[in-house]
Amino acid sequence: MSESGGGASERASFIRAPRDFWGGLALIALALFALWASRDLPGMRGFAFGPGTAPRMFAVVLGVLGLTVSITGLTTKGPGIERFYFRGPFFITLSVGLFAWMVRPLGLVIASFLSILAAAGATPDARLIETLIWGALLTAFCCLLFPVALNLPLQLWPNSWEPAAILKSLFEFR
Amino acid sequence: MIDLLHNLVLGFSVSLSPMNLFLCLVGALVGTLIGVLPGVGPLATIAMLLPITFGLPPVGALIMLAGIYYGAQYGGSTTSILINIPGESSSVVTTLDGHQMARQGRAGPALSIAAIGSFFAGCVSTVLVAALGAPLTSIALLFGPAEYFSLMVLGLCFAVVLARGSILKALAMVMMGLLMSMVGSDIETGQSRMAFDIPELSDGIGFVVVAMGVFGFAEIMRNLEQTESRDVIKAKLTGLMPTWPDLKAAAGAIGRGTVLGAILGILPGGGAVIAAFAAYTFEKKMARDPSRFGRGAIEGVAAPESANNAAAQTSFIPLLTLGIPPNAVMALMVGAMTIHGIVPGPQVMTKQPDLFWGMITSMWLGNLMLVVINLPLVGVWVKLLQVPYRLLFPAILIFCSIGVYSINNAPFDCVLTAVFGLVGYWLVKHDFEPAPMLLGFVLGPLMEENLRRAMLIARGDPSTFITRPISGSLIGIAVLLLIVAVLPMIRAKRDEVFVEE
Repeated sequence: MSESGGGASERASFIRAPRDFWGGLALIALALFALWASRDLPGMRGFAFGPGTAPRMFAVVLGVLGLTVSITGLTTKGPGIERFYFRGPFFITLSVGLFAWMVRPLGLVIASFLSILAAAGATPDARLIETLIWGALLTAFCCLLFPVALNLPLQLWPNSWEPAAILKSLFEFR
Repeated sequence: MIDLLHNLVLGFSVSLSPMNLFLCLVGALVGTLIGVLPGVGPLATIAMLLPITFGLPPVGALIMLAGIYYGAQYGGSTTSILINIPGESSSVVTTLDGHQMARQGRAGPALSIAAIGSFFAGCVSTVLVAALGAPLTSIALLFGPAEYFSLMVLGLCFAVVLARGSILKALAMVMMGLLMSMVGSDIETGQSRMAFDIPELSDGIGFVVVAMGVFGFAEIMRNLEQTESRDVIKAKLTGLMPTWPDLKAAAGAIGRGTVLGAILGILPGGGAVIAAFAAYTFEKKMARDPSRFGRGAIEGVAAPESANNAAAQTSFIPLLTLGIPPNAVMALMVGAMTIHGIVPGPQVMTKQPDLFWGMITSMWLGNLMLVVINLPLVGVWVKLLQVPYRLLFPAILIFCSIGVYSINNAPFDCVLTAVFGLVGYWLVKHDFEPAPMLLGFVLGPLMEENLRRAMLIARGDPSTFITRPISGSLIGIAVLLLIVAVLPMIRAKRDEVFVEE
């Protein structure tokens, strides 16, 4: 399983350690992005640092390190990239995204329940009935723990049950 | 000496108040509860439970967090011993002999020796923290911006050298953390940096967001890939207490582990992980019959468990006296303190003695509670380990989501955490270790501030870092450290290049 990325590295045989090579390239990209994002920040004024000095300094060092890492990816042999599984990351991101989207307009109860259902999609072992029961139990527990026991300001239910109002609130950000 | 006693009395008067005692107990209990879950280490546990301390007064919140930390650490050992999956990296070595002991039906003695060793280490290092706190604070007063900057450089170098895998990649991770910490308002001018006019970013990226994404969510994504094969010890846990020969065999190991752990914990960048490894290796070297190790030697459990607890505790020293977190867990504690409006550093001890000493004494109480609550509850933890992962992970996920959301009541933070989860997953797939990144991320603003001030004082002359004696020696140690660590690697790499094909 861990070597399933090996096929790609054999085709492009000059990349000897794909993890280092691609990892380094991504860091270079990040450094370039940071340089671009901080382009209009003022730099040094005399010997005093400006707001842009430190970000650019770190970005340049990161870029150089990234370059070195990807060059080592060409010179020394390393393991191939492990297979990426899309199911887990996809459903987990979806679950958190759903929660973020719904917690304000729909309240904690609906948001957590739907978020738990989405999370269950991340594993093929999940069973429907079990997930529904477990989701309801967890939601109840969260509602008792966070707003009640810990006294955090979380709204439990939507402001209004009018379908039109709910729809409207779902597409109103901030 | 009188001062020390006086301070400890003050501390106990704070930590023994019913409220704080209760918080410490709850912290240790909940910390263990979460820490027992496979793949959830202290870092993820603290990140996850941080929101529940928001409503508490600062002293109570920190006492509870310290309790959570020890609990999580102990929970990690329980998982290692019972199911051979280290709950966190500092208990990796505990699996070697601990799980073997469990297979031989001696899970009880293994768990109790871990608790006893931790408790002993906790007692010694609590006194050490109390004794070293005052003198180190006075050293801190000698530190100017240049010294602070150099000390942080040294800390990051330690973190890089001690990280697993390539030093180059660990350095790159530190840089990435530093770069990410630059997002938000500039300290001096207030100018918005790299925030793209997103209001939630104007204050910078929250460290809980990064920590929970990279350690919490990414860990879940990783765990979901592995098909479940847990080797839970089903045998009944009879004979919890170690026998007299067990205790005699472990006593030396506990003592040596404690000393080693206490020293390594103070050093920046190290902390519990390296202490546990070092103590285990040391015991193995010391042993008359090293072949017993890995086959259920009780010293192999006692030494690393004592060491990681001692280190966990002494790593509070640089945090409380210098305000510099020596490792990622402490970095998280800094974040927690900042949320409660406490700036960690030498002024904490003088300005808030009740907080400082209350926290130190609560460390000892926390350790005592671990022994008291965990041994009777071992059966409960075993039950918990049998809960399948498909039920566990949605629970962890939803607690994390609600936790992140409740920090600022900002849905954007949840989305950002999910993004960092993906980043963390990608990093692990490419052999980048996220811990140095988190340390860089937390130290970033502090480093920039001190660098700017030092350069301003020296009128733009960078040699100030080398010519000032304390700063110069710190930089010297850092450079030496990197050279020592890199040299053998370069040689090995070169050999590899020549040997290949």
